[in-house]
Amino acid sequence: MNHHHEHGSRSCKQIFEKLSEYMDGELPSDLCERIDDHMADCPPCQSFMESLRRTVTLVERVDAPAMPDEIRASVREAYERYRGGKSGD
Amino acid sequence: MSHAVSESDLLQKIQDGDPQAFDEFVNLYGDRIYGFGLRMCGEREDARDVVQETFIKAFESLKTLKEPKALKSWLYRVASNACLMKRRKGKFEPQRELSLEDLMPKDAGSAAFEVPDDADAPDDSVARNETRRAVREAIRSLPPHYRIVLLLRDIEQLSTREASEALELPETTIKMRLHRARLGVRRYLESGSLPLGETS
Repeated sequence: MNHHHEHGSRSCKQIFEKLSEYMDGELPSDLCERIDDHMADCPPCQSFMESLRRTVTLVERVDAPAMPDEIRASVREAYERYRGGKSGD
Repeated sequence: MSHAVSESDLLQKIQDGDPQAFDEFVNLYGDRIYGFGLRMCGEREDARDVVQETFIKAFESLKTLKEPKALKSWLYRVASNACLMKRRKGKFEPQRELSLEDLMPKDAGSAAFEVPDDADAPDDSVARNETRRAVREAIRSLPPHYRIVLLLRDIEQLSTREASEALELPETTIKMRLHRARLGVRRYLESGSLPLGETS
């Protein structure tokens, strides 16, 4: 039988500090197991982690603006000027 | 991002002095560096300067780079420095910090806040556009030293090690700032503001 502890405990705080590393697979396996166990027993931490996962997904999906053609052309021109400057040294 | 073969070929062309190499270099990375510059600096003109400086400086430096795998870190290092220099030339802003204490949900209600999941919404739906606008605002509202880490890791998809090399910071600092930046975006989506403290 699961006994739910009170959310906000010391272990909740310790896990809160490590959530991104946990989600990114950057923690050692023993610590991952401890977090898995804690999550099974702590619905608020579970909900919080789910909301953080969704946040990361939203950030990853942010639209990528394409470089406008005039800026592409200005980069080309800057490069030509730079090369011209170098050959004139 | 899987440009392993292209990066290797490109680096070879750059080092061989191939006349097409600069254009190929800009074609491969132009949109990414422009987007990065725009999100970091906020202004199109500044993003243009960042792109110009990055490509010219990186193109010259890459002529002596030995390891193709390091190309991406190197490119973002130059771009990051260009962005940070732009900011230093701008008006003075005190460095603002995000503390874990302030970002931790105060109660179960706050922990249960549901971040919108727009995966199934149509591309042009009002809800989806509203969520995307809020995410862009949240990213923009992060202090620059947190924002740059979030951009490199979650948008440009650099690994922790690559971001650490690009910003010349320890991996522990990258992880710490990334976590706080993500928590900051989540908090902004929940409440429309960030709990920012001032340190200088």
